[in-house]
Amino acid sequence: MIAALAAFTALTTIPALGGVEIDLESIARNWSNGAQRVGMLLTPDWSILPRTWEPMYQTLSMAMVGTVISAALAIPLSLWAARPTNPNGLTRRAVRFSLNVVRAIPDLVYATILVAMVGVGTLPGVITLVLFDIGIVVKLVSESIDSADSSYMEAGRAAGGTQTQINKVTALPQSWPVMASQILYSLELNVRISAILGIVGAGGIGRLIDEVRGFYRYDALSAIIIEILVVVLIIEVISNGLRKRLR
Amino acid sequence: MPERTTHAEAEGTQPSASVAWPIELDAVTVRYPNGVVALRDVSLSIAAGEMVSVVGLSGSGKSTMIRTINGLVPATTGTVTVGPHVVSKLRGRALRELRGNVGMIFQGFNLADRASVYQNVLVGRFAHTPTWKSMLGMASSGDREIVLRALDSVGMLEKVWGRAGALSGGQKQRIAIARALSQQPEVMLADEPVASLDPPTAHSVMSDLARVNTERGLTVLVNLHLMDLARQYTTRMIGLRAGEVVYDGPASTATDADFEAIYGRPIQSRDRLGK
Amino acid sequence: MTALLSSPTRVPAKPRRLALRAAWTLVGVLFIASFWGLDLEWAKLWELPSDVWHYFGLMFSDPDWSKLPEALFQTWRSVSMAWVGALVGVVLATLLGIPAAEGVGPIWVRLPLRWMFAVIRAVPEVIIAIILLTVTGLTPFTGALALAIGGIGTHAKWTYETIEATPTGTGEAVKAAGGNRMQMVRWGLWPSASPELMSLGLYRFEINVRTSAILGLIGVGGIGDMLTAYTQFREWGVVGMLIIVVIVVTMTIDAISGRIRRRIMEGAKSRDLDRIV
Repeated sequence: MIAALAAFTALTTIPALGGVEIDLESIARNWSNGAQRVGMLLTPDWSILPRTWEPMYQTLSMAMVGTVISAALAIPLSLWAARPTNPNGLTRRAVRFSLNVVRAIPDLVYATILVAMVGVGTLPGVITLVLFDIGIVVKLVSESIDSADSSYMEAGRAAGGTQTQINKVTALPQSWPVMASQILYSLELNVRISAILGIVGAGGIGRLIDEVRGFYRYDALSAIIIEILVVVLIIEVISNGLRKRLR
Repeated sequence: MPERTTHAEAEGTQPSASVAWPIELDAVTVRYPNGVVALRDVSLSIAAGEMVSVVGLSGSGKSTMIRTINGLVPATTGTVTVGPHVVSKLRGRALRELRGNVGMIFQGFNLADRASVYQNVLVGRFAHTPTWKSMLGMASSGDREIVLRALDSVGMLEKVWGRAGALSGGQKQRIAIARALSQQPEVMLADEPVASLDPPTAHSVMSDLARVNTERGLTVLVNLHLMDLARQYTTRMIGLRAGEVVYDGPASTATDADFEAIYGRPIQSRDRLGK
Repeated sequence: MTALLSSPTRVPAKPRRLALRAAWTLVGVLFIASFWGLDLEWAKLWELPSDVWHYFGLMFSDPDWSKLPEALFQTWRSVSMAWVGALVGVVLATLLGIPAAEGVGPIWVRLPLRWMFAVIRAVPEVIIAIILLTVTGLTPFTGALALAIGGIGTHAKWTYETIEATPTGTGEAVKAAGGNRMQMVRWGLWPSASPELMSLGLYRFEINVRTSAILGLIGVGGIGDMLTAYTQFREWGVVGMLIIVVIVVTMTIDAISGRIRRRIMEGAKSRDLDRIV
């Protein structure tokens, strides 16, 4: 086992095969150049901030809209993807498989392709977030439904209920805390992702990141990064607080 | 059907205009996919309005038997007849309609803990509600009415908006009885309803079931493993051992020897609940 | 109807959950305000389904397989980045995460470390890479480093959480036998926590496989680089082929890694059983 891992690691570091060249020399070579840029990063230029408000609002808007739309789609899908709430193996596997495919494509790849399809703007960004969120929310929620006690379902069946009725009246309130918690989690991730979507043209503050990077304005870049950091941490604190109240 | 509820009766009771259903098992055998034979050639006839206990140790087949009656477990061979229905012939909607007429309560209560008491009892109205209405969360005023009355009749009306998971075991089983009652069933099945309860609570839940039988005239079939409960609360007793009927007769006069034959071993102290 | 008349008389009033209603209203208001902030062109929204369908046809009706060898080469580069990144990241995260666990490190070590992890978690890998490449240039090595540093945020958190969740009995036994802090970690905590940590490390690799493709988009190399290029050339047949490659490779890696993870965890369980028996 360990030998296999070592061999695999060795393979991944052979540049000729496309592996990663561990190139410490380049760091030394670029150091003077890099040191100057790092110096700029360490002295943030706050004068950029007024220009960030609007794209930041756009970023948060994308995150919010993406979360709400994906939640509306993910709730029924997670009930379809879990065994207790969907005893039909065929449709269950179909849902799970398509979501595995959706999850196999990274978020920014969606954004890149969608920008080429529908043009620069927030629309490709929101679609990207929705696809990404559905992938993770459905996976995590359906797994938790799978592992939770579902004996209450037998009562619903014994009372002559259809699976849809059982899901709506009992399974939904029963799994709601898990769902809400994962939806909040997806909101946190969305803020983080939508901050960089603009790099490929999908709206939000990433557009500004790309711009100041193009002009080597590393001092402005670091101000923007710190702003993103603060926003992400605030959202995380709010979301953690809400999650604690879900019981 | 709603007529049943339009006349207010004395507190805590509900009139049953329906006629209870008889149950008939004819040469029923159940073999599970893993090869285990849970019931062997069981034939039984239970009259409408009888209060019957099914006694046996765990693994004797009593849980399986009770589930063949509402089709949760299909009979491998033989026929099960409940009222006008032959259970094994029913599929889909017809099977759900039959289940709507057969109330059932469980050892583990089978409540959705995070849902409200009201939602849990509303489960009993499923067979009488179109799926799209349940989807939209639209309970008719009649359904709401039935749910509240069912809760009232088990003395749990106060808890209607609370969460089911916040209740004690005895309270949960009362909610489960209310859920079964809100079906307005013709037959009531109970699978070890008091096995998870302490003795005083167990006695009060058994009295609730006995009341369902006497006041509403329902056919009641209750699985038990405790001999004193069977003697005290039921009129007829069926003994199961290894999937076969080994006793069928009056419950109150069943002797200790009869119970030893059902258990297949001498009587132990844990076969009695006590007070 | 007579329903009201015949209701049980003592029906408790349904509690009005004002806080809940306020929360839902807030979500609604935020949603509408956000939708407004998107500045969507409604005409585009209408055309969206037919547009997507059109491009789906372009990409997948006739994928261009002639570029497959290059795609596989670049995929291997991405996977290599992901692996090296995961390995370095997991080693660093373990070293930093253990002292951040309660019962291991003192509070003046724990808190700053945890803050550092939270800050790293908040920064997307792409931005880490953008900062790094000022020094290291646009190379796969930058990608691997960005993945390693980005991985510290999450993996170190998992590490201290896992260690805090492991039973403290063996650790205390080592302490009681006169072991120092290092020995307690090595012989008390590590054996019971390591299977879970290894499993999480592999999971890190699965995540990195996805992220490494993203890093390609800013030019560090790998399949993402190729995807951006051909998307910009609008050679949809090649893009379709690349997407198929990404999906197949990612799902295959997920499946293999998932199987190994289950094996590790089951091995841990049976070892626990040995200890008990």
